[in-house]
Amino acid sequence: MVNKLMWEVDRSDASLSAFKTDPAAFLDDWVTIGQSPVSPYPEGGSLTAVERDALAAHDYGDLYAMGVNPFLLWQFARSVSVPDEMTGDELISSFREAVEPHGYPDFHT
Amino acid sequence: MAEIVGVLGVTHNPLMWSNLRESVPEDLVGVTANFERFRSIVTDLDPDVIVLIASDHFHMLMMSNMPAFMIGKAPSMRAVHPNEVRQFGLTPSRISGDAELAVHLLGGGDLTQRIDFAFSDEPWLDHSSVIPLLFLTPGLDVPVVPILTNCNAPPLPTARRFAELGTVLRESISSFRGERRVLVVGSGHLAHELGGPRQFLGTSPDPDFDRKAVSWMASGDLDAVVDATSFERLTEAGNESYQFLNFITCLAVAQGRPASFAEGTPTRFGNLPFFAWETS
Repeated sequence: MVNKLMWEVDRSDASLSAFKTDPAAFLDDWVTIGQSPVSPYPEGGSLTAVERDALAAHDYGDLYAMGVNPFLLWQFARSVSVPDEMTGDELISSFREAVEPHGYPDFHT
Repeated sequence: MAEIVGVLGVTHNPLMWSNLRESVPEDLVGVTANFERFRSIVTDLDPDVIVLIASDHFHMLMMSNMPAFMIGKAPSMRAVHPNEVRQFGLTPSRISGDAELAVHLLGGGDLTQRIDFAFSDEPWLDHSSVIPLLFLTPGLDVPVVPILTNCNAPPLPTARRFAELGTVLRESISSFRGERRVLVVGSGHLAHELGGPRQFLGTSPDPDFDRKAVSWMASGDLDAVVDATSFERLTEAGNESYQFLNFITCLAVAQGRPASFAEGTPTRFGNLPFFAWETS
């Protein structure tokens, strides 16, 4: 479900804006919507406390170590952090530093 | 009867679009030259339709519903998603399809092919389809039948399965009764990483893989490339290298002929693939 959330934030301008404005509220809504899914393409989903904390904190190293999809993680990171938090080059450096200790986690779902 | 007039394989790195819009940086001169070379091939071949083998990047297909191979069968389709406008400066557009050929490739009235394709009546193409088309057919004026492959969300189809896809496409294109000059275009990467520790190194994450990959295509060694491209070996080359599998499909469409042009063009984004096969 973390993959799905990162996907939603990156692909939708409205979701990206909502997440950047108030991550906690966005994550609350995500879980609430996920409890009453609308057929056939359910929105929202469940999150563990650890997943929720890592998403809200933009902790890309923790998310990577969990085995989220690396492509979706990078898309999410770039959309969320650039340019508001840092430049693209700064994200490349800090992202590498965050994920390097974890090698290549299995990201099969 | 339909005729496969050529097979091409090219990069779909979207940074080529955002970096080549105004001028040509020194490290992209080779890429620009190869796109011009391939655009000239397309002009000479004068295709009626492009069968495009590309990998959707979680735009149409997500883990909630992930097929191995999907055919877009629509007379017209959307292209470019909102995040690709934001990130790469791509422009939303519409691209014509060839629903008649697409339905035939799907199996006709029944799903009778050896590949159990998924299908979409509302395909919405992303940069993996649009970047090759923009460079090869800048007017987006050649109808397209997209074959979207899962190269991004493991478990993936094996390399052997991608080769089988190429064989099935070759046979089914050749058995289509409509008059069509068909160009097959594969879209993908050589060694490539995104979202891992080796992204944006300024060079390829695995130059040895790139050399071998180009060699397999240049020699037409289908068995060797299938045997050498396990999920583990592709991960070693970079965690986005799975999209090389689309070129195995291209090689199988070309019946394992040696490519007439095979190059991993060096750039700061890694070595970018350019493959061409003559089919007659």
